[in-house]
Amino acid sequence: MRKIKRSWIFFLLLIALFLQITILNHLKIFGAKPDIILICVVFFGLFLGSSAGLGAGVAAGLLIDIFVLDFFGINALIYGVTGFLAGLLSTKVFKESKKTEFAIVFFFTVFSMSLHFVLVSAFSRSLNLGYLEYFYSSVIPAGLYTSIVAVPIFVKFIDMYGLKELQGLL
Amino acid sequence: MRNQKSRIFKALIAISFLVFLVVTSKTITNRTRTALSDTANLPLGFFNSVSSGFSRIMPFASLREENRILRERINLLNRKIDETKIIYDENTRLKDFINFKKTIPYFTVPAQVIGRDPSNWSNSIIINKGANDGVRQSKAVISNKGLIGRVLEIGRRSSRILLITDPNSKVGVMIQRNRQGGILTGRPDGRCKMIYISLDSDVAAGDKVITAGFGETFPSNMPVGEVVKVDKEPGRLYKYAVVKTAEDLSKLEEVLCVK
Repeated sequence: MRKIKRSWIFFLLLIALFLQITILNHLKIFGAKPDIILICVVFFGLFLGSSAGLGAGVAAGLLIDIFVLDFFGINALIYGVTGFLAGLLSTKVFKESKKTEFAIVFFFTVFSMSLHFVLVSAFSRSLNLGYLEYFYSSVIPAGLYTSIVAVPIFVKFIDMYGLKELQGLL
Repeated sequence: MRNQKSRIFKALIAISFLVFLVVTSKTITNRTRTALSDTANLPLGFFNSVSSGFSRIMPFASLREENRILRERINLLNRKIDETKIIYDENTRLKDFINFKKTIPYFTVPAQVIGRDPSNWSNSIIINKGANDGVRQSKAVISNKGLIGRVLEIGRRSSRILLITDPNSKVGVMIQRNRQGGILTGRPDGRCKMIYISLDSDVAAGDKVITAGFGETFPSNMPVGEVVKVDKEPGRLYKYAVVKTAEDLSKLEEVLCVK
């Protein structure tokens, strides 16, 4: 197994952010785009543990916070929690199963977007959006799209970092 | 003496042979040629076919090279056609923009979209013009098709635009046909919703939505979009309308910032 450097994780998150700001906006389906930053955070949490997941999540969230119009720090919190929770699952699931990867990414996309909604609703008085409407119009399309995109990305990452060997050690 | 006789004899024989040859050459040569050609017919045919085969194959090498060059040229020309089409489209778009800019009664700053929101929650864009170029805080951003949003954050050389499809965006709008007012708010999936439409209003699908012009942010009568669907908000005393924006905000490339 190769050791993944922190700088490399950060670099990967930067690339994901760059793609998310530029190209992925042209690949929207039903108004949703795949959240590849979330895919990276879940991957690092799932394969490298809770601490790595938390660190990657906070770093990714802070990067996103620079570029979005949300309250600053909200994405660092959401992605940090998501990475940490993904890390808790690292020893409890068979990570190389594509179905498991799909289900986990779908779950964490729904979780992070719902947490985002709860936090924004708590802080913003002017928000005129119901959760159910948000869930059906945004969360479900984004969750499905992100999960579908996550499967080949996971396969590529596992090959790239030689993480198949880790499975045998666990 | 003897030698001389023998030499003369040999010369005579040679001469008589030559004379004989000259006399009978036609017949002999004909026969010899015929016999030779008959015998050599099969191998000659074989070699001939092989050589003609070679003569056909030989240009193939050069043809292949020529084919490669022509293919490259086709690719190059196709690329040039694509590039020309892109430039043509851009030119048309910019011409429309310039014409539109001339017709509107306010000063604007043209800008290019250089970035978009990375999240699935908010809808905003980053443009390549800022305070140095005359972009002003909270001013409307438009395209030649209609309203896009407003300037939310401003830097020296870039600005962030809050699109009308963002959940935090609120724009005072009205239905062009009956002047029925309402508030236009965005949805994370990129749609817009006009809320606070009174229950007795006759708003219908296909109605044009324009800006009401209340306040100083948005100019009045600016096209915003078209009503797609009207419904009653459950548990509320007003109706809402789903509005399709006049401009496809996911494909924006150039915008105009009102000064």
